[in-house]
Amino acid sequence: MQEPIAEQPQLESLAVPPRKDERRELLALLIGVAGWAVPGLGHALQKMWGRGLAVFLAVGALVTLGAGMRGNLFTSRGDDAFATLGYFADLGSGCFYAVARAFETAGPDVSHSTGDYGTRFLATAGVLNLLAALHAYEAARGRKA
Amino acid sequence: MLLSLISVPLTHLQSMLLFALIISLAFGTLGRRRPADRLTYAAWSFFLFILVGVTIGWLMYPFSR
Repeated sequence: MQEPIAEQPQLESLAVPPRKDERRELLALLIGVAGWAVPGLGHALQKMWGRGLAVFLAVGALVTLGAGMRGNLFTSRGDDAFATLGYFADLGSGCFYAVARAFETAGPDVSHSTGDYGTRFLATAGVLNLLAALHAYEAARGRKA
Repeated sequence: MLLSLISVPLTHLQSMLLFALIISLAFGTLGRRRPADRLTYAAWSFFLFILVGVTIGWLMYPFSR
């Protein structure tokens, strides 16, 4: 008779944490997506102001410089695997990709090395932002960040 | 329209330095917590970026002509 009574609190204590974990996981996922959509927002939502600002400025500077150097901003209509990979890398910039696309009227010029470097700047901005979004996601999950 | 007005004529070295600086600062801020650690990490990262860049440049030099 004593065994079921002893087991009851254990079951209750086991039932509560997974629900909290699920909520936390969902919140972390939302923070990660927010961090991707707006560079630095994932950290800002967790009151990591310095990191959020650093990510926003770094990604913004890389996109501005890359576009200013007339780097190639890839589209979804890539001809080969490299163009598709470049598109995914560029897309990592989140809203900055859309902004760069909206303001880019002169088009890329990769006939000079400057334009080629600009392409790398744009791709790096995307990859850096993805890294930052992943960092924000891990921090929201409670991992050491 | 706006970005088309911004022209950034950088040399190879300037591009590399600027790239290394921006990424190093971001790495330092993301990778460490304390300001002193961040600065050290960013400086070390910047140094390695430049070192690797210059080394690869020299390694490719014989094949450039």
